[in-house]
Amino acid sequence: MKKRSMAEAFEITGVSASPGVAVGPVHLAADVTAEALVLGDTVAAEGDKLWQAVVTAHAELEALADRSDEESAGILDFQIEMLLDPALVEMAEDRIVAGDGAALAWFGALNDYIAGIEDAPDEQLRARAVDIVDIRNRVLSVLTGRPLEDFAPGSVFVGKDLEPSLFLQHDWTAGGGIVLFEGSVSSHVAMLARSRSVPMLVATGRFEVAAGARLLVDATGGRLVVAPEDQQIHEVRSRSAEARPIAPSRAGGVIETVDGIAIRLSAIVNDPSELKSIEPSSVAGIGLMRTEFLGNVFDQERHYDVYRQALDWAGDAPVIVRMLDLGGDKMELGVGAKESEAFLGRRGIRLLLALPEIARLQARALLRAAAHGNLGVLLPMITVPEELDAMRVIFEEESTALGRKGVQTRIPEIGMMVEVPAAALMLDRFSRSDFFSFGTNDLAQYLAAAARDDQRVAALYGAATPAVCRVIAQGVALAETMKKPIGICGEMASDARHIPALMTAGLRHFSVAPNRLADIRSTIGGMYSDGRAAAEMK
Amino acid sequence: MTDKMPRRKATEAVDAHVYCQAEIEVTHGFGLHARPSVTFTRLAKSFPCVIEIEVNDSHVWLNGKSIVKIMGARIRRGSILKIRARGLRAAEAIHALKALVERDFDEEKKHGRSV
Repeated sequence: MKKRSMAEAFEITGVSASPGVAVGPVHLAADVTAEALVLGDTVAAEGDKLWQAVVTAHAELEALADRSDEESAGILDFQIEMLLDPALVEMAEDRIVAGDGAALAWFGALNDYIAGIEDAPDEQLRARAVDIVDIRNRVLSVLTGRPLEDFAPGSVFVGKDLEPSLFLQHDWTAGGGIVLFEGSVSSHVAMLARSRSVPMLVATGRFEVAAGARLLVDATGGRLVVAPEDQQIHEVRSRSAEARPIAPSRAGGVIETVDGIAIRLSAIVNDPSELKSIEPSSVAGIGLMRTEFLGNVFDQERHYDVYRQALDWAGDAPVIVRMLDLGGDKMELGVGAKESEAFLGRRGIRLLLALPEIARLQARALLRAAAHGNLGVLLPMITVPEELDAMRVIFEEESTALGRKGVQTRIPEIGMMVEVPAAALMLDRFSRSDFFSFGTNDLAQYLAAAARDDQRVAALYGAATPAVCRVIAQGVALAETMKKPIGICGEMASDARHIPALMTAGLRHFSVAPNRLADIRSTIGGMYSDGRAAAEMK
Repeated sequence: MTDKMPRRKATEAVDAHVYCQAEIEVTHGFGLHARPSVTFTRLAKSFPCVIEIEVNDSHVWLNGKSIVKIMGARIRRGSILKIRARGLRAAEAIHALKALVERDFDEEKKHGRSV
């Protein structure tokens, strides 16, 4: 609560929900009320009005979802599903029977329901209340004929909270930002703001400001300045430019934490058909492309085509292909014999080196593809440095042989999966690995001596998480002294619940499943680089 | 990491195809919020039978096809969900809904594969 004379600059602190800096005139959110809606018709007529308004609102939402991207459409889907549920209208109908007009009945019924959600014990559910406010306002706007508010491009929205559909309908290309008295870093709008790089502050508390006043939103610094001096704007802008040394043009897949540390996010791909559903500019390339599912492992051309396809898709970004990781639970071809079915038997690199014809064939496809883009190779299940060396020799020999035939090749960077504890603890011995990537599913089952596919020991497998994090932290420290890139492509990284611990362990590069990208991106964008959330349960 | 395995195995009463019930623990990180509740109710609505849910032995049975009721029930991670169905294809509905909860509402899709 602050109140000052107009001309004087003053500062207010808040919680960053989406980093960045914005300067613009204030747009003050109008309070939505149902005043002057008293004149009711007959009960039947008011009921009809309400049903028709819901049908119209539903059509508007469908149209908006149709022209939105996948993440936004998913958010609107929730509202559509709520509107299609007769339970909401039935709550309002009770009030119509009691004498309210359609608009007042709808407003009152929805407010009761919203109050119940706002009162929920957990933050994630409370953050959905504003989605229902969105539905309430849309139907109300149809009933009253008053259009939903939009605001001038480039301005800074200031209000209690912001509804997702308002965000989606607004033109953010001219810049601007969002300042919410309440709000939540877990809200749908916060997710949208992070994925579109709109600076956003929440939990500022109510303050008074005149519509049109100039506002400096320093969301990275968790504060805003009303009526700032030009000098202040200049300082904040240059500070935020310094905090971003890696990506002057905001390279794809780079997310900034609240304290301005760049985190890379890459995709995991099982099958080339998944590429069309991922926007290349939204990720830092492919962090793990599995090759077990490509079909016939003896078809070199099929492998080559798939790698080329991935490289074309990625442009300049890296594509990390993992060599056939057979054995364990992945016996997809007849060559592996039964003995290697066990997780502790001949699998991954062990099997590749035991079946050199398969390894050499895949190496040839990789060498040819590497000539056409930023391709890297990841070796599965490495336990000792000699395995890495043996595979490198295969690449060198095959490259020479292909060269003699006049085939264009390039020896790619060769890195290793860190999933065997004996290797994970000794990364400093793997100086010939060009990079490292944690495979936490296997690392966890080996650390806990609990098979990941055995439900009877699932709890032990899950309980290995702290041990996995400790091993990761040690590995990250070793990789740093070796000046080698290190990241993670295990399932842990696709689960938002584990991100704080992984950030604390020092990881700065995450590869996740395509359908987890949006969630993980917004999770990372809402936290500090040491793993603390920007806002805890408010 | 996998903690998707439901700790409590579902207890099913497969008497006939007119009535069926299952009990299951919600293991999805955020419980049954926006996106999972959309998936759940859409699947429930694809069956002709009456489907109801009860949360944490509350003895209050809610319409399992109503997202408004489900959001209002504030189901979170660790909540014990009872699902019952009555009518045509009841057993099939229970089987499908239980499997959906066990699959964490398909939030992972085929990316549950090992790394």
